[in-house]
Amino acid sequence: MEAVDTETERVKVGGAQAKRRKGPPRTRLVSWLGVLPFFLFSAAFLIGPAVILFYRSLEDPEGGFTLQFWGQLTSDTVMRAYGMSVRLSLTTALVGGVFGFLLAWAVSLGALPRAVRSALTTFSGVASNFAGVPLAAAFIFTLGRVGVITAVFELLGVDLYRSGFSLYSFWGLVLVYLYFQFPLMVLVMLPGLDGLRREWREAAENLGATPRQYWRKVALPVLMPSILGTMILLFGNAFGAHATAYALTGGLLPLATLLIGQQISGDVLNNPGLGYAVAVGMVMIMAIAIGIYTVLQRRSERWLG
Amino acid sequence: MTISTAPVQVGAEIPPAEPPGKRNRLFAWLIVLAGAVYFLLPLVTTGYWSLRAVKDTLGFEAYRRVFADPAFVESFTESVANAIAAIIVSLLIIVPTAYWVTLRLPRLRPVVEFITLLPFVIPAVVLVFGLIRIYGRPPLLLTRTYESSRILLVGAYAALSFPYMYRSVDNGLRAMDVRTLTEAAQSLGANWATILRKVIFPNLRVALLSGALLTFAIVIGELTVALFLAQHTFGPFMANLTRSKVYEPAAMALVAFGLTWAAMGLIAFLTRPRRKVTR
Amino acid sequence: MTILLILGLIMAACGGGGATTTTGGGTGEEVSPEMQTLIDAAKAEGTLTTIALPDDWCNYRGVIDAFKAKYGLDVNELDPGAGSAEELEAVEANKDNPGPQAPDVVDVGIAFGPQAKDAGQIQPYKVATWDDIPADAKDPDGYWYGDYYGVLALEVNTAEVANVPAGYGDLLNADYNGQVALSGDPLTSNAAILSVWAAGLATGATGTAAAEAGLDFFGQLNEVGNFVPIDGDSRTVGIGETPILIDWTYNSIANDVALAGNPDLETVVPADQRLAGVYVQAISAYAPHPNAAKLWMEYLYSDEGQLGWAGGFCHPIRYQAMTDAGTVPAAVAEQLPSTEGAFFPTVAEIDEAKAVIVGGWDSVVGVTVEPSGSG
Repeated sequence: MEAVDTETERVKVGGAQAKRRKGPPRTRLVSWLGVLPFFLFSAAFLIGPAVILFYRSLEDPEGGFTLQFWGQLTSDTVMRAYGMSVRLSLTTALVGGVFGFLLAWAVSLGALPRAVRSALTTFSGVASNFAGVPLAAAFIFTLGRVGVITAVFELLGVDLYRSGFSLYSFWGLVLVYLYFQFPLMVLVMLPGLDGLRREWREAAENLGATPRQYWRKVALPVLMPSILGTMILLFGNAFGAHATAYALTGGLLPLATLLIGQQISGDVLNNPGLGYAVAVGMVMIMAIAIGIYTVLQRRSERWLG
Repeated sequence: MTISTAPVQVGAEIPPAEPPGKRNRLFAWLIVLAGAVYFLLPLVTTGYWSLRAVKDTLGFEAYRRVFADPAFVESFTESVANAIAAIIVSLLIIVPTAYWVTLRLPRLRPVVEFITLLPFVIPAVVLVFGLIRIYGRPPLLLTRTYESSRILLVGAYAALSFPYMYRSVDNGLRAMDVRTLTEAAQSLGANWATILRKVIFPNLRVALLSGALLTFAIVIGELTVALFLAQHTFGPFMANLTRSKVYEPAAMALVAFGLTWAAMGLIAFLTRPRRKVTR
Repeated sequence: MTILLILGLIMAACGGGGATTTTGGGTGEEVSPEMQTLIDAAKAEGTLTTIALPDDWCNYRGVIDAFKAKYGLDVNELDPGAGSAEELEAVEANKDNPGPQAPDVVDVGIAFGPQAKDAGQIQPYKVATWDDIPADAKDPDGYWYGDYYGVLALEVNTAEVANVPAGYGDLLNADYNGQVALSGDPLTSNAAILSVWAAGLATGATGTAAAEAGLDFFGQLNEVGNFVPIDGDSRTVGIGETPILIDWTYNSIANDVALAGNPDLETVVPADQRLAGVYVQAISAYAPHPNAAKLWMEYLYSDEGQLGWAGGFCHPIRYQAMTDAGTVPAAVAEQLPSTEGAFFPTVAEIDEAKAVIVGGWDSVVGVTVEPSGSG
C-alpha cells in the first residue's frame, strides 16, 4: 500500500480549495507521460498531414518556394468565402447551441421518462453525422420547390417560393446544418447537465431563489465552460462542413471549404497550392477562434474558483 | 450530503404554489415535440420518396434493390468493426489526456484543444492524401496490403473522432469533482492507473457513451478516406449503390439511418449503468 | 439499374459481335506478336487499378466487365466519383506506393491532359489505332488521348415540364420558373462550366466574348428566378426539383433508360448550340501495373472497347473512322444522338473561356446578385 502522499494538503469537501503546491518532479513526469500518447498519435495522424498541407501551400507547381498563394488569401473571393464560412458557422453554432441546450435540458432535468432521453441520445448519435447529399436530399424532399411541406403550404394557399422563401439560400443552409448541430450539442452537453447537483437547486430554493435566479446565478455559470467548449465544437463542425453545402447550393454561396474543393477536387480548376493556402487560412481562423474561446472560458472558470 | 437549512430571509419571495416540476415538464415536452417535428419530417418525406420506385405505386422496390446487393452485409460489418476499434483507441488516448490536462497541465489546454479541433479544418481529401504520402512509401510503408491500410484507416478515424471525444470527456470531467475524487483516491493509496480505471472511467459513463456514439456515426458513414485508401467499407458501398439513382438513395439513407440507430441503441444498452449511481 | 446493366451487356456483346469481323477483338482472334507479349505481361501483373470510372458513365460497368472476362485480369476500382484533380493527386501522392491505392490509368477532362503532362504525372503510349484519333483530341507525343465525347443537352423531366424547351434561348422563358439547373458548381464541374459557355455561344458570340455572354445569360436566368442553384443530377431531375438539367447527352439518355418512365425524361440536343466535350485517357507515370494499363488502353481503343462506350450512349473518339470503315452496327448508331454541327473547342479555347467564367461567376451570378429570399 502506497504511503499517503504528503505533498498534498487535505481538502475539505465542499469548501474552498486551498492553494496547492506543485507536485513533485515525479508527478509532473507522470503527467507529461500521460499526455504523450495523445501527442504521438496526433503527430502521426493529424499534425503530419497538417504539416504537409502547410508545406504544399508554399510550393509552386515546379516545386520551388513561393508565397503567391498566401498572397491570394487577401483577394476578394477568398475573403468573402472566409467571411461567409465564419458567418454560417457562428449562426449555426449559436442557434444550434441554444436549442440544443434546451433539448438536452429537457431530457435530463425536465422530468421526462427515461425512454425519451435514450431515444434522443441514440437518435442524436445518428443525426449528428447525417450530412452531405442524403441530408440535402431530405430537405429538398421536404422544403424544396416540389417538397412535401411546400405542397402542403400551397394547399393552404401560400406559395412559399414566391413569397421569398428559398431553401437554396444562406438561411436555408442554416436550417439544414442545424440537423447535425442540434444533436451534437445535445450529446456533448448531456454529461455536463448531469453534473448539476440536485442539491444545489434545492439549496438555492431554500435560500429563496426563483428558478430564473438559480439558472442565472448558479447553473449557467457552472455550465458556462462546458457550453462554451461545446459551441466551439459546433463552430468547428460547421466550419469544416462541405458536402452538404455543395449539394444544396451548388457553389452559389462562397464558402472556404467549397473553395478548397474547387482547387483540389474538382474538374475545372487545378491549383492545389491555392487550395492548401486557403486551408492553412482556415487553420489560422480556427486558432483565433480557440484563442477567443480560451479567454472566455478562463473568465468563466474564475467564478468556479 | 445534507442540505443546509439557512433561515428564509424576511421579505424573500415565496415560491409559487404549484410545484415547479409540472410547468417544467410541460415546457420540456414542448421542446422535445418541436425537436421531434424538425428531425422526423425530413425522414418522413425521404421515406415517401423511397416508396415511389415503381411508377404510380407505392412499394418497396427501392429497398429490395438496396438489400439485393451482396456487398451490403460485408461492408456494414467491416465498418462496424472499424468503428469499434476506433472508439477503443480514441477512448484510451483521450481520457488520460483530458484527465491530466484538467488536473495537472492546464496550460496545455489550448494546445490540446487546438489539436483536437484540427480534423475540422483539414479537409478529408487533404488528410487522406497526406497520410498516403507519409505512409505510402518506405520506410513507413503501411499501404502495401489491404489489411495494413486498414490499420491506417482506423488510426485516421480515431483521430477524426478527437473533437467529439475530447469535448464529451472534458464536459464529463467538469461535471465531476475531479480534483477531490483524485485526492480521495490517492489518500486511499491508489496509483494513477487505478484512479483512472476505478474512479475516472466509471464516472465518465455518459460522456464516454456520447463520444462513442458520435465516433460510431462518423466511421459508419465516412467516405473520402475509405475511398482513397481503397477500403471496402459501408460509405463507399452506399455511394456506389446510389450514384445517379433517384429512389435508391432515399431508401439507402433510411436503411443506413435505421441500422445505425439500432447499433447505437445496442451500444447504449450494453453500457447502461448496472447500479444506480448515487451522489 | 438492372435494366441499364442488361442493356449495357447487350451493347457490349453486340459490340463484341460486330468486332469479330474486324481485327483487334474477340477471343480466338489472331493477335500480333507484340500484342501477345503485352497480354502475357499484363496477365503476369494480374490486376489493373482504375479510378473515377462510374458504372453508368459511358457504360464503364459493361466495358470493365468485358475487359475482365476477355483477359482474365482483376480490376481494382478506386473512387468512382473522383474529380480530375483528385485523380491526378492520387497519382502524385501514391508515386512510391506499391499498394492498391495507386491508380494505373486516369480519365480526366481534356484541359487536365497538358497539365498532367507538364507535371510529369503521366507516361506516353500510342495505341494500335492511334491514327484514328482526331489530331486536336490527342497529345502529339502520346501522353494523353481523347476517349469519348458527347454534346451538352437539356435533360427534361416531361412530367413536370409541359412545354419542352428547344434550346438555351428558351430557358429564359417565364414558363421555366425555378426549373433550370447545372450539373454542379461551374468552378468544380466540367459539364457545368461548359454549359455556361454553351449558353453564351448560343447567342452567336464566340470565344471569350461567348464566355462573357454566358455569364450574363446565367445572371439573367438567376434574376428572373428560373435558375435553381443546386448540384443537379438525375435524382433532382427525377423528383422534379430541377426538371431541366444541362448535362451531357450520354448521361441524360442513360438516366432516361434507367428510370424506365418513372418519370419520363426527354433529351433535347439544343438547336441553338451544340458544344462537344472530350475526356482523355492517360497512363500514370508511376503505374504499378504498366502493362495492364497499356493492355487496357489497347482494349478501349479497339472496336470492341469503343462500341462498349457507345453502349453508354457516348460517341467513342474513333467514331468517324469506324463509321467510315463500316464497323458500327446500325443498332448502335441509332442509339447515339446526332452531333451534327457540334463545336469541338481546342484546349486553348477552353482554357480561355474558363478563365473568364471562373473570374466572373461569383460576381455576376453569385451571392452578390441575390435572388429574393437569400441571406
